[in-house]
Amino acid sequence: MEEYHSGDEVSFSPDDASNVVKECIEGIVGGVDYSQNKVNQWTASIVEHTLTQLVKQGKPFKYIVNCAVMQKSGAGLHTANSCYWDTTTDGSCTVRWENRTMYCVVSVFAVAIAL
Amino acid sequence: MEIVYVYTKKRSEFGRQCNFSDRPAELHVDILPDISLAANFIVRDPCNVTVQCAEEMSEHEVNTERFESESRGINHVEGGWPKDLNPEDMEATIRYRKKVEKDEHYQNTIMQIAGLMEHCCKQNNATDIYQEFFEDEDEEVVEESEEQPSAKTINVFRDPNEVKRTATSLSWHPDGNHKLAVSYSSLEFQRAPNDMSFDSYIWDIENPNKPEMTLKPVSPLVCLEYNPKDSHILAGGSYNGQIAYWDTRKGSQPAEMSTIEHSHRDPVYKVIWLQSKTGTDIFSASTDGQVLWWDIRKMSEPTERLVLDPSKKGNLDNALGAVSLEFETTMPTKFMVGTEQGLVVSCNRKAKTPAEKIVCTYSGHHGPIYALQRNPFFPKNFLTVADWTARIWSEDIKESSIMWTKYHMAHLLDGCWSPVRPSVFFTVKMDGTLDVWDILFKQNDPTLSLKVCDEALSSVRVQDNGRFLGCGSQLGTTTLLEISAGLCTLQKNEKAMVSEMFERETKREKILEARHREMRLKERSRSEQSREDEGKEADGEESAEELVARAEREFFEIMEAEKKKEWNEERQREKEKGVCEEKDFQEEHETNGVSSFKRSEISL
Repeated sequence: MEEYHSGDEVSFSPDDASNVVKECIEGIVGGVDYSQNKVNQWTASIVEHTLTQLVKQGKPFKYIVNCAVMQKSGAGLHTANSCYWDTTTDGSCTVRWENRTMYCVVSVFAVAIAL
Repeated sequence: MEIVYVYTKKRSEFGRQCNFSDRPAELHVDILPDISLAANFIVRDPCNVTVQCAEEMSEHEVNTERFESESRGINHVEGGWPKDLNPEDMEATIRYRKKVEKDEHYQNTIMQIAGLMEHCCKQNNATDIYQEFFEDEDEEVVEESEEQPSAKTINVFRDPNEVKRTATSLSWHPDGNHKLAVSYSSLEFQRAPNDMSFDSYIWDIENPNKPEMTLKPVSPLVCLEYNPKDSHILAGGSYNGQIAYWDTRKGSQPAEMSTIEHSHRDPVYKVIWLQSKTGTDIFSASTDGQVLWWDIRKMSEPTERLVLDPSKKGNLDNALGAVSLEFETTMPTKFMVGTEQGLVVSCNRKAKTPAEKIVCTYSGHHGPIYALQRNPFFPKNFLTVADWTARIWSEDIKESSIMWTKYHMAHLLDGCWSPVRPSVFFTVKMDGTLDVWDILFKQNDPTLSLKVCDEALSSVRVQDNGRFLGCGSQLGTTTLLEISAGLCTLQKNEKAMVSEMFERETKREKILEARHREMRLKERSRSEQSREDEGKEADGEESAEELVARAEREFFEIMEAEKKKEWNEERQREKEKGVCEEKDFQEEHETNGVSSFKRSEISL
């Protein structure tokens, strides 16, 4: 089982998480163009990989990873969110990535498991 | 039972408390529309979307129906025009023809082809190969004499289990004949391997790969019959003596089974559905010597019981073991039982006392009677298959069969009449051959003998249309055969000829029976006169060898007497008449000799 720090006050570090996410996205949709038949596979793998990487860190958090891929065809996209939690321990981070044919937005929410 | 006490405490009552605070709304994505990007795309109109209102399946198997294909030639009347030419357009065709005619090689090719054409035309004109020769005569006669009787294997259904069991009985589905129910069991005494499966299967004849339905009895089934009135119900007799019935709509388990205490004590070899108002009556026979009647709605005990005791006392120890049953719906009060001892017992259902139930017995076989069936066209005659022969009997003659086949090299294990032709019946042997007999065509040998497989064939059943038949083998392989049209279409006058044949044979047997009776009476009267035990035996033997010796002696005595008479007559004539009449003497002598010869024959 993975070890985790018990007793320490651990808070979420958004920079750490965003690095993990960026690496994942690059790895999966790095140099490819938008393709309708593959996009489902991509979103699923991005989310899975990010999650596994985050869990590997071993921090006492519950994670929620959300991914949206949109084709660059001229339409606009707007999303927002709001949370009610313990701001000292919990946190979120959002990563926006794009290439010539598509946008990819991944957001990670981490909620501390209080003991 | 575990005794569990559950402790509950709210999460908010222990551990670190959560200090909730609101985090204001955060904008995640804000991508403004950009019309210029749309220029990279073309609108696709229309979009084809396929929708099917059917279940989505991850795996599905479909079996196409078997269909027969033939090779045929096509008669070309006109053709060969190039693609861009419309053959109906007169001008275009004329133009094309003119163009071709102007071609360089046209003349040469025509000359070459013309030679061949001429040859064919001359051939055609010489004889008209499509002429109908025998139009006036009945076409059927020509067809039938040309066609050789044959049978073709259509499908082979193998026992899917590893441990192979014998296919002991087959039953065709009553409507439509698309299904075949086969019962599997091992009839070897106590030699059934431990992991032998008890299942019997219903096969769809189009799909030999997988049985359509499995029937799971408690003990392997020895016989299985469809209910002729209700095609969903099957009755089966099992190896442990119980009777069970299935409803194919309900599943693989038997709908009901008879109780062990009231069932047979030996394997049930035959189960037959009876004619009744309710259509739920069956009767079963087993080697324990009983014939039991059941109503499938109440299987807890049989409705009637008959013990096959030939001494008519109902004694189970004396009883003959039953191996086959026969019941004809046109004669609902009578039925017949074929026994292990080689006797056919004819019984009356409506008799008041059990003693009267057994009407008479027919003897003549040396071994168990594996099959017993009345001729569907002539119910007075029935076929029995046992030991090494198949015999045809008439109900009136009890001493012997009216017709029988020769003794074969292998045991005959099952047989049945063809439902469409009164003179055709089928038998199967232990060496794996199927014999088709046509008694109008040949009585000594089967009309068609086919080797179906290497192992013994244990059961055979013909479908109601007479065209298909299934035979089951010792290793559980059921073969579906189609027989040629000649063997399953009713010939002209066939019924009349067959009935004449049966009558003739019956008469012959009657005469023989009468003769035997006379001889027996003579013997009895002789034994009463002599009153010697040894004398009785001698008389018995006399009926065979002694008779022949006596006949010989008498014959020679009479010959000698006649010869002496002639010599005496000659000497007298010589004395009385002159030499020139010698020729007349010779003639007289000859004629006298011939007539006296005849006379002595008659007296013998």
